[in-house]
Amino acid sequence: MSKLLFKRLARSLWRTKLRLVAVIVMVAMGVAAGISFGSYANSAETLLATVYEDTEDGVNLADLWVDNNAAVWSSEETQELCSGIQSEWPSTALPLRACEPRLVQNGMLIHTDESGEEKLIAGVWHGSSNATVNRIWMPEHSTVSGVIAKADDEIVIDAHAAKGLGIQVGSTVQISAGQGAQSFRVVGIGYHAEHLYFAPKGSILPASEGTFVTGYLSSEGLERLTALAPKSANFLLLDIEGSPSYDLQSTAIDEGPELGSIVTSLSTLMGELSAVPTTVYNRSSVQSVEFLRADAEGAQKSYPYVTGMLALVAGITIFLSLQRLIQSQAREIAILRTLGVGRATLMPAYIFAPLVIGAIGALLGLLIGVKLGAPAMQGMYEDILGIPVIVDGLGDGLISQNVSIAMIIVFLAGIRPAWKASRLKPLDILRGQHEVRLSSKRLQKWTAAMPIALGLTIRSSVRKPVRLLLTFLGVGLSMLIFGSMLLMMGSIEDLATGGDRESWDAQVQIPMGGEDAVIQWARENGATHESLLQFPATPKDDPRQFLLTGHERLGTAAGESLSLVRILSGQLPKAGASIPEVLIDEGTSEFLDWGVGSTHEVMIGTQPQAVQIAGITRDEFARSVHFHQSDLSGILGFSTTSILLKLPDGMKVDSELGSMANAIVLRQDTLDAFATMQETQKKFFSGVMFMGILIAVVVLFNTLLMNLAERDTELATLRVLGAPIRRLGQMLLIEHLFIGVIGGIVGCLMAIAGTAAMIDASVQWAFYFKVQVVPSTLLLLVGIVVAIAVALTPVGTRRIKKMDLVEKVKEFAR
Amino acid sequence: MANLPLLELHGLKRHYTMPAGTVTALDGVDLSVQPGERILLLGPSGSGKTTLLNCIAALDTPTDGSYRFDSKDVPQSNSEKMTDFRRENVGYVFQFFNLLQDLTVLENILLIQELAGKRDEKRARELLDLVGLSGESDRFPAEISGGQQQRVAIARSLAKSPRLLLGDELTGNLDSKTSAMVMEALVKACEAENITCILVTHDESLTAYATRVIRLDSGLILSDEPVSS
Repeated sequence: MSKLLFKRLARSLWRTKLRLVAVIVMVAMGVAAGISFGSYANSAETLLATVYEDTEDGVNLADLWVDNNAAVWSSEETQELCSGIQSEWPSTALPLRACEPRLVQNGMLIHTDESGEEKLIAGVWHGSSNATVNRIWMPEHSTVSGVIAKADDEIVIDAHAAKGLGIQVGSTVQISAGQGAQSFRVVGIGYHAEHLYFAPKGSILPASEGTFVTGYLSSEGLERLTALAPKSANFLLLDIEGSPSYDLQSTAIDEGPELGSIVTSLSTLMGELSAVPTTVYNRSSVQSVEFLRADAEGAQKSYPYVTGMLALVAGITIFLSLQRLIQSQAREIAILRTLGVGRATLMPAYIFAPLVIGAIGALLGLLIGVKLGAPAMQGMYEDILGIPVIVDGLGDGLISQNVSIAMIIVFLAGIRPAWKASRLKPLDILRGQHEVRLSSKRLQKWTAAMPIALGLTIRSSVRKPVRLLLTFLGVGLSMLIFGSMLLMMGSIEDLATGGDRESWDAQVQIPMGGEDAVIQWARENGATHESLLQFPATPKDDPRQFLLTGHERLGTAAGESLSLVRILSGQLPKAGASIPEVLIDEGTSEFLDWGVGSTHEVMIGTQPQAVQIAGITRDEFARSVHFHQSDLSGILGFSTTSILLKLPDGMKVDSELGSMANAIVLRQDTLDAFATMQETQKKFFSGVMFMGILIAVVVLFNTLLMNLAERDTELATLRVLGAPIRRLGQMLLIEHLFIGVIGGIVGCLMAIAGTAAMIDASVQWAFYFKVQVVPSTLLLLVGIVVAIAVALTPVGTRRIKKMDLVEKVKEFAR
Repeated sequence: MANLPLLELHGLKRHYTMPAGTVTALDGVDLSVQPGERILLLGPSGSGKTTLLNCIAALDTPTDGSYRFDSKDVPQSNSEKMTDFRRENVGYVFQFFNLLQDLTVLENILLIQELAGKRDEKRARELLDLVGLSGESDRFPAEISGGQQQRVAIARSLAKSPRLLLGDELTGNLDSKTSAMVMEALVKACEAENITCILVTHDESLTAYATRVIRLDSGLILSDEPVSS
């Protein structure tokens, strides 16, 4: 008996093939998306763990950095410092394995392009002979070739830059670091742990091709380039046995208290041992390491939600479809019940059906995810971040996890309709009582003044409020991922590029005391100039770094400064106050709970300095403290680290300026980087957009089919009574327009809430921002949903037109 | 001189192709109907009466034969033109009333007028009055009895002033007392508006409301007799 019931249900489902396909598509998309996003998350996490590992194959990423912010230590000084660190190392469970001095210098690469034009490209040069810590990463991959640099005229160029600049093993490059340009022979193309996320310091955007370069020289090579004494260094890299946990910026708890106490004691020690201000920090303060970790963490956190969300839409579709199926089968069920079929016999078939549908969808999704989605997502990781993915992202039960999530939701979606089916009252159904329902008097009153057709459309639309709400929810969810992406990009763009806050063309980083030459150059070439003093510091008793910036001109309105600030609360600081007045960015204010008017201590090296908060700025990614230059230079003892230039139209930076600079950052490069990122992500966005639109199409199509099925009698009656297709089409159009507009608005609200939640979950000390609601994005979202809803109307009209009225009339008589 | 017939059928055939073979529902029906007649189509199940009604309503397309209404050929293939024909000329009453549950009694009538492009609330109320339901205009169908619903359906079918009113077992779902009330309302309304009626039924007692009775069997007219008043 039960077998026959299954067969009967299967045949009934087969009669609604289109709805069945819609449900299978939804489940498949949920599983495919989960596997795709999950493989991205797994790849990112496993890859980083593999790269940073303390093994021969890994780069052995340092656990702590001691950063000489202002000068360079001599060979003797580094030996003394390392000896001091080793002898004073706290006797914890974290033994020190190595203290390696390292020289890292900003500089430039002089690149001559195909047209013969010379271009100065900002660069960072590492000297790393015999490195055991932060080794160059040269995996077996098509982007990597050659060997590491040993001679003093050899260099390894980072694979990210080599591709954009057309540099190969055997090429010769001209590079400088404030002491004139020299030629180096490229012996290798590889990667470096501190530049895996390939962006200039302070930028959250990956550098676009040919705008930033890093090179890994022998220690002797870099000393030759910088004209520094042998074994000079400005970093001490500390390697601890194993990979100790460190405090993550994205969480409120301290994951690495032991390492934290070592950082504190080392900071004190360095204050005693080093004559210049130094900063001690862990991996969380290294931009590339932190960005990639945050990206992997974000992906790990978000992909179960993505799968769950899509499976939820599938669940809603299944729930609604089964409900409709049961409604249409009510008479049959009543007859079966009258014939003595028990509830327990009826229910399993209705529970089993969604599970079979779910299994088919999950299998399809699994194939799509493994064969298409996962490779595409890993390819995107390689394209956007330029890091070769050398690990398998599908491990760790990813597939079973996604299939399980989908199947559980599908199972839950089937329970209530199945329960309802088994609880139908045969007598009510056979008397037709279950179909008798009283329309809302209130709604009738509200719509009484409208044309009857419009009133009927509205009343019919809200006839099944639960279904309508679930439809809106489904449409809202479909727009959630896509809308969130759009809003996220919109929120980031202004911050990443500086928007209209920044009006400079070039930031010239100068050697100590080099400002006069640059200012002279600016005067001679008609460029506007403004000097900046930038220096890292930390809050007291807090290892997190912010950047102190002393502005020659602090301004909020166009023309007042080349780099404006936007005041969120408070006011511009006054120069020369006894306790220096500063502005802090919104993120710093939130993370440290520092408010306007309060006074706090910041640690410049090991020296505490009190500051008073005059105001809080907005729209800044990085944590910043803004001073008047005169105030900050009074504290630091020097006045300028870089000069902002606004160049006359058509003018470019030249080699003369290059010879005066440590490095030159061009603002156009930042704008290009953003454009490149958008271009690179186009495929991904198109994929997500396609997915969102497909879900919305499936949800709205399913709703359309169910509405038509439910109003079959009504529509057929109107057709028999002579209602023209055009008028019925208009009624459908109005109804779908209504569903589209409301669904679109719900989609917008969900996208805004989703983006805010995503941003809340992802912001941390290293990058902070808030959702920016861009009206054009919201209009686009509503427009897409409305367009889908309206575009589907002809399908409904066609189905009404194709109704067999003779059969319908026969049905009426039955 | 006799009036011109409202509708004329000549050699009307309707065959259905089924997996088991061809079924002949109508096998050459000739029929002429004068304006104002009230015709009852009687016959056993499968005799072809509903098929005939569907062909007259331009819901179904005859396999062969001609059908003229008001001396014009009735469209038989274009579904929109067939719909136009129904809208302009035919009122239809169903066995199970088929009122729209989300509309009040009055709105059910107004909707048909709206769809025909001639909304006239005064007439809608007059029709409700004619079928004895003027006090129920703001009620929903679920709030009134079956007999009342059928009377609303009659009023609805008359709302756009059709020339021809068709009914398929319109009292089949009602008890005899209610049937009588409905038929009286129908006759009253049709006489008042000079509307021609063709009603399909199994109920011999309804002959009392007809001016002509046609009996069918196996797709053919067995008898066609006037009913004496």
